[in-house]
Amino acid sequence: MSQRSEVYRTSLLGLLSPAIVLSVWESAGALGWINPILLPRPSQIVWSLVELVADGAVFPPLLYTIALFVVGYAIASILGIAIGVAMATSETLYGLLEPLVEILRPIPKSALVPVLFLFLGIGKTTMITVVVLAAVFPVLISTFQGVRGLDPVLLETARTFQVSRMRTIFSIILPASLPMILAGMRVALGLGLVLVILAEMLAGEDGIGFRILDLQRAFQIREMFAWIFVLVALGGGLMMLFDLIERTLVPWRGKT
Amino acid sequence: MSERLGFDHVTKIFEAPGSDTGFVAFDDITLEASPSEFLAIVGPSGCGKSTLLKMAAGLMPPTRGRVLLDGKPVFDPPPGVVYLFQQYAKSLFAWRTVIDNVMFPLEAAPRSQRNELREKCRDYLKQVGLSGFEDSYPWQLSGGMQQRVAIARALAADPQVLLLDEPFSAVDALTRMELQSLVLQLWERRKFTAILVTHDVEEAIFLADRVAVLGAKPTALKEIIDVGLPRPRDQLTTREDPRFLKLRHHLTSLLLARNPAHVAAV
Ligand SMILES: Nc1ncnc2c1ncn2[C@@H]1O[C@H](COP(=O)(O)OP(=O)(O)OP(=O)(O)O)[C@@H](O)[C@H]1O
Ligand SMILES: [Mg+2]
Repeated sequence: MSQRSEVYRTSLLGLLSPAIVLSVWESAGALGWINPILLPRPSQIVWSLVELVADGAVFPPLLYTIALFVVGYAIASILGIAIGVAMATSETLYGLLEPLVEILRPIPKSALVPVLFLFLGIGKTTMITVVVLAAVFPVLISTFQGVRGLDPVLLETARTFQVSRMRTIFSIILPASLPMILAGMRVALGLGLVLVILAEMLAGEDGIGFRILDLQRAFQIREMFAWIFVLVALGGGLMMLFDLIERTLVPWRGKT
Repeated sequence: MSERLGFDHVTKIFEAPGSDTGFVAFDDITLEASPSEFLAIVGPSGCGKSTLLKMAAGLMPPTRGRVLLDGKPVFDPPPGVVYLFQQYAKSLFAWRTVIDNVMFPLEAAPRSQRNELREKCRDYLKQVGLSGFEDSYPWQLSGGMQQRVAIARALAADPQVLLLDEPFSAVDALTRMELQSLVLQLWERRKFTAILVTHDVEEAIFLADRVAVLGAKPTALKEIIDVGLPRPRDQLTTREDPRFLKLRHHLTSLLLARNPAHVAAV
């Protein structure tokens, strides 16, 4: 009961700071302190947003971006987990892959976007590849650290029950390092979203990023902001979904 | 040879940074446990008790000498040898319910037997006094209850040899006594070989048929003592038995490295 009210209190507190920012912004606009053409007031933007939703125009680009992101993110997660586990459990694979990972990891993935367009052309494959590149490393590193950090007692327990290597990986190593894997996936979520929008802006054919840049070029500033709001909602929604999934999957977090 | 598990001139040397000779955990230990024996090994902290037990479980190879199970050398963890860890909370699977933890050793069995095995696991949980907690998660239980889950899981693996590494040292005194009695009951019923490592002299005497005493560094076997107290043992009467007190006196003075004869003469 008290834990519950705690949760409500912190989430209410969390709503407070955006509310303050929005009201300062709104009043500054109403008082004529900022140029309404360059920075419309939130209330005006919301009207554009309502229109976007009402006539359904929001959905095709939104779904387009979501689809690219989800496909890329899923591939990145599976790859990251697989390579992370492989590197953590096999010295050979660790020796083989570690230098490559260390070379690729620090490169800002945004710098690779123009290169990828060059090689893969403009299209969905490129977009998805961008997301994969951005999201795979946090998942990989977290998974690796999670598996390496597992308590030896857990692995010894598996050994004393004569569990095969494959079953040890699937029924012990993966679930036990799930909290760390999810921590990496959370970081990857943010990075992947940033990169998909960026790629859409640089050479997209559709999607939220494409819309934002397109409207900026057409100087439809209010509509542009409406799309930025859509993007904020998408990011927030994905994070909330992620929290929910995490809580369902690792209810023991912080309790052992 | 009639023994079930034997250490045959076992030496363990750990590589130590900055030393070519390495760190000698213990030297030339020969000790065996017969089937259905309860053997306790006591020794001061850091003398290598856990290391010895890990070698018995096939988790760690000896540097010299052999570990024998029914006369055959042990390399990998052999079936039938179950290890009860001191860190029971870390040995349980947090993502599985209590009953699924207990089911774990049986999951290689064919699917058609699953229901039957599940019933068996329910029965093991009943034997350790955890009926009604089948669908809880380990982290929802108290420390003593978690160790009971680990014991039930060990039973499910149908142990020939149960290795107990200070399994009760992390629970309160009352729970410890309950768990000791529980293990004794199960051992009397199932007649597996039990090897207990502990630094609690009273626990060793209360549970075991024989107590092996390890000395401090370099660790070697100091003495093996026959307990000879009647069974079934009882937390009150056994501990008040004059023979119990005498053994306790003797073992404690051995561990304190005093001359027992001298102490007795005072
Ligand atoms: N993997 C290892 N590498 C190097 N030294 C080790 C290793 N494992 C144990 N040791 C050393 O061997 C000695 C014995 O360790 P062990 O854990 O077997 O002692 P113990 O008798 O079980 O102690 P305690 O009663 O505190 O549990 C210790 O001095 C320890 O530092
Ligand atoms: Mg120990």
